[in-house]
Amino acid sequence: MSHLKIEHLSKTFGAIRAVDAVSFEVRPGEIYGLLGPNGAGKTTTISMISGLLKPDAGEVFVGGKPFWSNPQQAKRIMGVVPQELAIYEELSGRENLEFWGRMAGLSSSEARSRAVELLESLTLTDRAKDAVKTYSGGMKRRINLGCALLHRPKLLLLDEPTVGIDPQARLNILEFIRNLRASGTAILYTTHYLEEAETLCQRIGIIDHGRLLAEGTLSELQERLGGDRVFVLEADFKDASPDNWNGFHQRFRIIQKSERQLVVAAVGTRDSSECLKDLLNLPVRVENVTLKRPSLNDVFLQLTGRELRE
Amino acid sequence: MLHVLLAKDLRRARRNPLPWLINLIVPLAMTALIGMVFGGHSDNGALGRIRFAVVDEDKSLLSDFLRGSANQNQGGKYLEPVFMEREDALREINANKISAVLIIPTNFMHNYLTAREPVSLELIKNPAESIHPAVLEELLGAVVTGMNAISRNFQSEFPDWQAGLEGKTDYHKVSQLIDRAGDKLKTAKKYIYPPLVSYEKEEPADESKSVESNSGTTNGISSTSGASKSASAKAGGSKSGSTDSVFAFLLVGLSAMFLLFIAGNAMSDLYRELRQRTFERYQTLRDSLVPFLASKAVFAVVMLLLCSGIMLGGGGLIFHIHWQQPLALMTLTAGYTCFAAALFALLVALMPDERRAAVLNNMAGMALGLVGGCAFPANQLPAFLRDHITPLMPSYWFVDTVRNLQFGGANVAWGLVALKLVLLSVVLLTLAAMLFRRKFKMGLRA
Repeated sequence: MSHLKIEHLSKTFGAIRAVDAVSFEVRPGEIYGLLGPNGAGKTTTISMISGLLKPDAGEVFVGGKPFWSNPQQAKRIMGVVPQELAIYEELSGRENLEFWGRMAGLSSSEARSRAVELLESLTLTDRAKDAVKTYSGGMKRRINLGCALLHRPKLLLLDEPTVGIDPQARLNILEFIRNLRASGTAILYTTHYLEEAETLCQRIGIIDHGRLLAEGTLSELQERLGGDRVFVLEADFKDASPDNWNGFHQRFRIIQKSERQLVVAAVGTRDSSECLKDLLNLPVRVENVTLKRPSLNDVFLQLTGRELRE
Repeated sequence: MLHVLLAKDLRRARRNPLPWLINLIVPLAMTALIGMVFGGHSDNGALGRIRFAVVDEDKSLLSDFLRGSANQNQGGKYLEPVFMEREDALREINANKISAVLIIPTNFMHNYLTAREPVSLELIKNPAESIHPAVLEELLGAVVTGMNAISRNFQSEFPDWQAGLEGKTDYHKVSQLIDRAGDKLKTAKKYIYPPLVSYEKEEPADESKSVESNSGTTNGISSTSGASKSASAKAGGSKSGSTDSVFAFLLVGLSAMFLLFIAGNAMSDLYRELRQRTFERYQTLRDSLVPFLASKAVFAVVMLLLCSGIMLGGGGLIFHIHWQQPLALMTLTAGYTCFAAALFALLVALMPDERRAAVLNNMAGMALGLVGGCAFPANQLPAFLRDHITPLMPSYWFVDTVRNLQFGGANVAWGLVALKLVLLSVVLLTLAAMLFRRKFKMGLRA
């Protein structure tokens, strides 16, 4: 049974449809990545799952039960790490952890011992007594993450937890999240970093303009582009019209076309050298051809017509 | 739950005490300021004796009369004139040792009696004081009015009077002058006595007895009997002169008003919680918002009680105010602080935008204070406000009840008023929680 299941979740703010009939589920011991650019609807989706926002339509199931049938029970098995730092800067790291532990329903002694454990896991023991305002950005992020873990939630919602921190701090946090997954926690992880989704998540949902465009494992998503091969051609494509190239659309699928670049995937299981020969015989003067494995960016490019980094 | 939330706020306040210290310093400063403005050096909570200098540059019989009348009878009780030269007087006023300087200029009597040119008395007020110089100015105004009245009625006889005063006439003429003056005053008597408006101070029965036995007088300050056409103002029910003090009246109103501002300031911590997303995070863990809001309100109430202790207690000490029913005052104050905290929790919920709310919250506090009769007596407000709006104001419930306790007597239903304030605060806090929930569900972000 999945720890989290959402069905046709929708939310509208005025004329803007922030989330449009999004459905997915997150299983125990799985990191589900919700990948999309800023404003795609990731945070709104998490807000609806955590009960901060009431959906206009659709249903959220936490631990198999509808969230709104008993919100307090759902919140007990859920931990939420908001995108912004939601901690008290005047308090120390340990005090923050203990306080949020008490809010999650732990007794005073439980909160204390759990805070000690987490400080150690997050490698913050030596700064435990210092006020959070004296911490570095990465340390604050770690405390922000730890505050959601006091009650050992079965479901963890992470809303871009590595935004704005240095690569080393990011690696530490990602490693910590991998360990959580290993302990059986179901994790919903939103990000706009392709590498994070590629290296961390077992399954990925691509979201843009509030709609879930595709989901699956990395290889399943790559498969959508025609397996593991993508050809990048560099030439002057300003006046070129692939529609007029004889049989081109039967052999290749265009992922992106610009004045200087054409990105295509081969249709079927033809040999790469045969595909290359085909491409070099096109009625344009090709300056360079690159063969590469398709990335999530290519998938996003194919689904939305623009790069995720734009 | 509540104590965990409170402990958290206490820790935060300890680590960042400046906003809370400001909350405590503001009432302290206000009390000190009021004390300084209204002259907190009185002995019995009233105005005390007014020390002022008289510079007599005329050295005439009339100026002697004016000098002498300054400290006669009731004047002597409230006025303390000191006679000196102009330079000395100015030095004294600069040293803040006297409240004003009254200068009787050269030729004052001569010009007054001959009426050749306008005469004037000069009053230099001490700018460091406000009440005492103002009282002197009013008294001097009364003296001038009296002198004008005499001038109008006796103008024709002034040359004879002047000759008499300068010793240039015989005693026969002087006796005729006095005789004529007596006749004129006898005619005027029926117009000026009894006065149309009089002031009568009622003493409680037991109090009157003690005065009688101690001093042998029947009524310490009473000056008139109740004439058929007279209107009388009454002030009674107090044990000592100090409680009649205008300061007790003012202090209650000003404290009520400032408590509203301080409540607004204290509850602005909710904005910080919204801004820091900690309020949002709390919601991801707990379904009910009431404990969170209640903890903020309790924290604000503790702060407000400290502030009211400073203002009412400290102010009481400064002005020697004897609070008639301290228990009732404390209970009412506790109820009022609950109301103030809950009101501003609701205002935060109504206006989660901190910048816009800063102005509106102050305006709300000001309006509630003014309409509630905190700054001005409620009976001086415009009729519509006084009759229809003011009685609905919780600030009015508080100040009116406390003032009635202080000045009106024992039969004041203060318990009911305190209960009303507490119940109202529960309603306001619940409303605030519901509003916050609704706004969060709609996507409230700080």
